[in-house]
Amino acid sequence: MKRRDFFKTSLAAAGALSLSSTLEAAHQPKDGRAISPLAFPEKRPMITYSDRPPLLESPRHVFARPITENDDFFVRWYMPEIPTYIDLKTFRIKVSGLVEKEFEVSIHDLKTQYEQVEVVAVLQCGGNSRSAFTPTAGGIQWGSGAMGCAKWKGVRLRDLLHRAGLKKEAKWIGFNGLETASYYKTPNFIRELQLEELDDHVIVAYQMNDEDLPYLNGFPLRLVIPGTYSDSWVKMLSEIRVTSDYEKLFFMDIAYRVPDNECKCEEPHKKYPTTKPITKMNVKSVIGYPENGALIQNGSHIVTRGVAFDDGTGITAVLISIDGGKTWEKAQLDSGSAGRYAFRGFRYSFKPKTQGKLTIMSKAVNRAGEEQPFAKDIKWNHGGYKYNGIDEVTVEVI
Amino acid sequence: MVSALFAQVKKGEEIAVPYIAYPIKMGKGFNAVQANCLTCHSFGYIINQGPQSKDFWAGKVVKMVVHFKAPIDKKDTQTIIDYLFKHYGNGKLK
Repeated sequence: MKRRDFFKTSLAAAGALSLSSTLEAAHQPKDGRAISPLAFPEKRPMITYSDRPPLLESPRHVFARPITENDDFFVRWYMPEIPTYIDLKTFRIKVSGLVEKEFEVSIHDLKTQYEQVEVVAVLQCGGNSRSAFTPTAGGIQWGSGAMGCAKWKGVRLRDLLHRAGLKKEAKWIGFNGLETASYYKTPNFIRELQLEELDDHVIVAYQMNDEDLPYLNGFPLRLVIPGTYSDSWVKMLSEIRVTSDYEKLFFMDIAYRVPDNECKCEEPHKKYPTTKPITKMNVKSVIGYPENGALIQNGSHIVTRGVAFDDGTGITAVLISIDGGKTWEKAQLDSGSAGRYAFRGFRYSFKPKTQGKLTIMSKAVNRAGEEQPFAKDIKWNHGGYKYNGIDEVTVEVI
Repeated sequence: MVSALFAQVKKGEEIAVPYIAYPIKMGKGFNAVQANCLTCHSFGYIINQGPQSKDFWAGKVVKMVVHFKAPIDKKDTQTIIDYLFKHYGNGKLK
């Protein structure tokens, strides 16, 4: 395995990103950020917040379709050192800790010795759309593209644990990947899940949309936890360790947490004293077409497209408003055949009748009756997590 | 099904992650920022946090020392906080 030597690479990019030149709409996530002219390996040019670790966002138009292509899929790493080459002949995943029989398994054996399963599921960063929060919440100021939906193929985590045989005291599972820090003492990005949180939908995936995972999305193997934010979907998964006790970890105890109250909210100058993990995703929709600033011919039909999702409870409707949220009409939903964890594509066709600026809003509703609040009603939290305000784009009818 | 038939990167080939020159602002304390921060992350990681208070930046630098074990000495810690607030601050102390 080779690691990237930062000081040897010197390819400079013109037009590197800053926070300027975005389209501003009150309470909405920043939109229309510049796409870097420089593509990352196995990726098309994307919004590029950082090269080290790589932080890449998908532009809005990607969400006109319910499957996100691998080359367009967002990227978020934590540590500066990520392997740039993995030899599948020697790569092994180790299952250890409180098990009857510790073992190591190759990707080849995963593909041939276990039942192969597939799930279409949304992967979304807990801080997706963070730039909508005022005052500015801490962290990368993502627009709405720190998410994607892919068909994941792999084997059930439960089948791996079954082969190892869990001991009676087993209660927690820790997942470790191959990214590493510059300093030996920096804690690894390990995630811990309770055994009881794991169901048959949790898989270790080696394929994404019928292709090997791109390196930047965790080649050769990553954890897939449908319905849950991406901070737990460990990439380049190399170690699964079973324990009886919860270990204290920075990324579990301090990062990716929200106030432990009903609204999961707090005042900027008066933080709520206790927190809880962000875990399950809330109901959300994003318009993929048209984009902000698009020019539309007056009287001509326009087909609005986008995606809606939640934690797997199930989307029942997407409502569209073109009068500022006074009246709403149902968009057409796709068949839903991709399953309850997938993006549900929506489509709404209409004919603008007056010239000038026109705002299109989308609101998703789920089986539990939960719906997206207006963006202005989203309550603040210090980490800027779980934003799910009604999405809007403003076009110019000419 | 067994072999990596669909890999975008050919077997045995290494990927190269590009380096991007983020437009960081120059000024007093920049040398300390370059010497300490760049070891672990790009300038992009700094400038894409948005304008923040002095407390926020102090918290970030202390987090790097306490949680991520960055060996930043006390003098540099203060220099870096002052630099970040001057160039990427929102004018508010808290």
